[in-house]
Amino acid sequence: MILYDYVLSASCYKVRLMAALLDIPITLKAVNFHPEKQHKSPEMLRLNAAGTLPVLVDGDVILVQSADMLRHLVTPKNAGWLGDNPAQTEKWLDFASRLNASLGMARLHDVLMFDADIDQVRCDGVAQLRQLEEWLTEQRFDGMTFLTGAAPTIADIACFPNAALAEDGGVSLDPYPSIRLWMRAIRSLPGFIEMPGIHRLHELSPAPARPE
Amino acid sequence: MPARVDGQDLAIWRAASGQTHVWGDRCPHRGMRLSRGFVRGETLACIYHGWQYGNDGGCTQIPAHPNLVPPKTICATTYACAEYSGVIWVALQTTTQVCRSFPGQAAVRSLAIKASAEKVMEYFSGADTGVVCVGGTNDIALALQPIDATHCTAHALASVSADRKEVSRWLESQRRSIELDLA
Ligand code: FES
Repeated sequence: MILYDYVLSASCYKVRLMAALLDIPITLKAVNFHPEKQHKSPEMLRLNAAGTLPVLVDGDVILVQSADMLRHLVTPKNAGWLGDNPAQTEKWLDFASRLNASLGMARLHDVLMFDADIDQVRCDGVAQLRQLEEWLTEQRFDGMTFLTGAAPTIADIACFPNAALAEDGGVSLDPYPSIRLWMRAIRSLPGFIEMPGIHRLHELSPAPARPE
Repeated sequence: MPARVDGQDLAIWRAASGQTHVWGDRCPHRGMRLSRGFVRGETLACIYHGWQYGNDGGCTQIPAHPNLVPPKTICATTYACAEYSGVIWVALQTTTQVCRSFPGQAAVRSLAIKASAEKVMEYFSGADTGVVCVGGTNDIALALQPIDATHCTAHALASVSADRKEVSRWLESQRRSIELDLA
């Protein structure tokens, strides 16, 4: 499986993270999204006419939507990652694409100087974070750590990156304790990998030995 | 975790022993946020260069100089704090005031509101004590954390037998009308 990848992209990270959690090897092909706009090169456009990243190629299958890639990575052996309630999972996958349009865009504006109505996208992002906070709080009352239940699904992985990177787009996560707990739970999953701006939980690894 | 009280940025952390600490959110090394750090046993480690601080705020270890005993002068700003019914209180100045306790009530959730603590107090026509007692069947009380002129956080408590989802949804609706009032 080949992932055409850009290290700073939240959507590419979703796919890298899912593959890491499922312990599925993927070959990364780095695409210079910024500043070279390599994703709009003739070779990349032949693969994905929309000129977006990520692109996942598995034999004859070419996927250009990150949600489809997450579904594709889940095998019958790991079917729990699709969730027990497909409608719920779909709802949160849809929410993830709205986070990408709000917080994701605010971050692209601040970090890569994209053109955006920054006040509007930040305002949309805050409204969505409040929704997420309310839902995760209720889940916590029911003893559920993740979006659709006690175990994580592709919906959590889809929503996680743009929420975790909100501060890169000028939106503070300080007001959302339930979101922060949920993010800690995701960062505690075995196989979790980092990206620039999202680090692992250092307290989970042993303290480095003091030299004598 | 981070919190802002009266314009002061704070780092709140709980040591492995369960003790809570409230410190200024500035690492004495380069001034980065301590609330981004992580807890190891009884120390808080700064995420940036790994300096560690013990219970009294004093620096206990500098990874880049493992054999150095850090001088006593390297110390985080510490504040007095206390915990009652799941609410952590902090005193930014020396005070003789005793903390409010909430017998029969338990913490439900904390909700950020785009309005000053005074405005929220006014909305509930509460006395200016920092705590609004809403009462009702769920016996709700709000401890208001002033942040700045346009923000506060309401820490909601309710009767231990309350339906927490109902309280949470009620809070959301109150926030909507408080913020609409000010719009
Ligand atoms: S800023 Fe905290 S250790 Fe350097």
